[in-house]
Amino acid sequence: MTVVLVADDDADIRDLVAFKLEQAGLEVVAVEDGQAALEQARAHRPALAVLDVSMPGLSGIDVCRMLRADPVTAGMLIIMLTARVQEQDVEGGFSAGADDYVTKPFSPRELVSRIQALLSRARA
Amino acid sequence: MRRDRSVGRLLTRAFGLLVALIVLSGAAETTALIMQRRVVDELSSHVQPLELANAEMHSVLADAQRSLRGYLLTGDGQLLDTYHVARSSYAVTGRKLRDLAQDREAGRVSRQLQEADAWWVLAERQREAPPRSEAAAGYVTEGKRLFQQFAAENRAFDADLAGRVADLQERSARLSVVTTVVVVVLTLLAAVTAALAAVHVAGRITRPLARVVSVIDRRRSGELDLRADAGEGPIEIQAVAQAVNEMAERGDRIRRAEQDVARLRAAVRQLGYRIRAHLKVEDAIHEAVRGLAEIIGADHVLVRMAPGQTDVPPLVSLHDEHVGGVLKELADCDVGWLGLGDVWATDDPSAEADVQPPEAERHAWAAVGDGPVLTVAVGGGDERLGALTLIRDGGPGWTAVDVRLVESIAADLGRGVHHARLYEREQHLVARLQELDTAKNDFMSTVSHELRTPLTSIAGYVELLLDAEAGELEPPQQRMLQVIGRNTRRLRELIEDMLILSKIESGAFRTTRAPVDLVAVAEQVLAAIAPAAAKATVELRTEVERPLELSADAEQLDRVLMNLLSNAVKFTPAGGTVTLAARRGDDEVVLVVADTGIGIPAAEQQSLFGRFFRASNAIRQAIPGTGLGLAIVRTIVENHGGRIEVASAVGEGTTVTIRLPVQ
Repeated sequence: MTVVLVADDDADIRDLVAFKLEQAGLEVVAVEDGQAALEQARAHRPALAVLDVSMPGLSGIDVCRMLRADPVTAGMLIIMLTARVQEQDVEGGFSAGADDYVTKPFSPRELVSRIQALLSRARA
Repeated sequence: MRRDRSVGRLLTRAFGLLVALIVLSGAAETTALIMQRRVVDELSSHVQPLELANAEMHSVLADAQRSLRGYLLTGDGQLLDTYHVARSSYAVTGRKLRDLAQDREAGRVSRQLQEADAWWVLAERQREAPPRSEAAAGYVTEGKRLFQQFAAENRAFDADLAGRVADLQERSARLSVVTTVVVVVLTLLAAVTAALAAVHVAGRITRPLARVVSVIDRRRSGELDLRADAGEGPIEIQAVAQAVNEMAERGDRIRRAEQDVARLRAAVRQLGYRIRAHLKVEDAIHEAVRGLAEIIGADHVLVRMAPGQTDVPPLVSLHDEHVGGVLKELADCDVGWLGLGDVWATDDPSAEADVQPPEAERHAWAAVGDGPVLTVAVGGGDERLGALTLIRDGGPGWTAVDVRLVESIAADLGRGVHHARLYEREQHLVARLQELDTAKNDFMSTVSHELRTPLTSIAGYVELLLDAEAGELEPPQQRMLQVIGRNTRRLRELIEDMLILSKIESGAFRTTRAPVDLVAVAEQVLAAIAPAAAKATVELRTEVERPLELSADAEQLDRVLMNLLSNAVKFTPAGGTVTLAARRGDDEVVLVVADTGIGIPAAEQQSLFGRFFRASNAIRQAIPGTGLGLAIVRTIVENHGGRIEVASAVGEGTTVTIRLPVQ
């Protein structure tokens, strides 16, 4: 089963995303900060990671950059969740190596369909 | 040479000659007159009486002879009487003749009288002879001979006298001719002399004088390098030319001095501009110090600021190395003794008595040097900012012009410092405001971020519920969840619009202007709005002129069109049309968004652009909206220096017109 890593410091959102992804038939590893996200990513080698940009400690962008820098996790698909509409955040995310981004508040439906699109494109 | 002769001497000579000629002419005429008179005198008082007397003598003797002869021949006693009369007449005439005769005639007269006497002796003898006798006849013959001898003498004398008369008349005529000739010649000479003198004087005075006058005229009309020729013409004209040249030199000196002062003034004015142009107090002071040293000329130029007025050091000098050296004492001297507008200059007679530097100040000057010192108060507004001091190591004192110019610089420095301080304060204020603005933006950004996270949960879970992920819902539950979902969306839009408005309102200077292709922006917005329009079955029309460029913030312009078009679509019922028109006007771009929507009640059109305002008919028909869209549009348009107008009628539609300057 495809493993997806979800990292968000807000438990409600973490649960929401995890629930929706599990409903869509994906295995979810949920963590609440950047450091845990790095550890779980190395441990489970998920196909895709959903990273919240603003997390205490390591931000989503930091985690993204570090994942890309590590050869073990460099090929992972990454979607950023951002609460800010400022372009610099989006640019920062892409320059750090994100594959896509979703702005909060987002529709869980839309998030799942984007994740599935990325996964199917990666498989193809 | 003649060229060097003076006009005075020349005129003196010419007039002397003229006078001499006239006097000569007069003398000649007088001489001629006297001589004529002498001739006439001789003729009338001598020669003619002699002639008369001579003729009388002849007549007397002829009478005597005739009467004696008649007596002798006739014996008529009456004739003898005549003889006696003649005899007495003879004595008178003879005396007269002798008296009249001068040396040259004396010989002839006495000879004639001898002859006559000889005749008379014989006649006396005859008279005593008996008439009609032989003796008498003999006497007649003898008498006749004697008489003829006398008559011959008498005639000769007469001829002599006639010759004298002719001679005198000829002399007179000759004299007359000579006199006339002399007078004519002298008169001509005088006339020629006068004419020559006139011509010569004209030539020698008028021409050089005219040259000098022309030099004066040309100088007056601007040829200031021109000088009169002082080496030409009579010495008087040379003197005039010399005087003209000296006046010209003096005029040039005065003008040069005036030009120097004018140059100095201009330099000081320029320096004043430069001083006032500085935005930093220190720069203004340094500019003044350097400029004064250069323009006015001083070995030390220093500015002392009153304590607590500025951040600059207490003393700023032309030569920084002197501040701790010769200027050390001066740096410690307070300039409080100089009031606002006060001036103190070494040896300034016009100095006011109450402006007196204290002993310490004088001592400090002496430490710098013993040259002249000039100190001027520097004030800005009503404040005493400090003092400007110029010191020369030696040399000339300060002229009135120097003092005035330094005062002018001090005034400019005061203004410059005053302005720079105001500017610095203003800069400080601007920086504070910018900090505040940044803080506000950060706050708004954080708030919106913090609001988004819970909103994400609410919206997400509502969506899950509505998607029946947690089990099937009853219709009332579904409706209620839809209300929650709709209001969540509204809340989200509100947050976004507030963030945008806050960003846009945080100052027009954040609007980054660049050339924008309005056609491209319009196409982008139309593409974005097309799905919504299609969903609402509203027709989108465009009437955009090409090309259409203006200087603006592309992102903000995008926002304007997006807000207006989405509003138009939102408020237009199915089957209506929304038109976007854009065209170029005079120096402006005109954007028109027109719809056939529900319109805005006339009474509400005024408040349309206020924040959170929503038209009553929109609320009634439950058309969602934040009430911030048009406020954002208005703010952006105003930030671009544009205008916005609305024309609307309920049930007919709304037309929003925006005019944006091209630059």
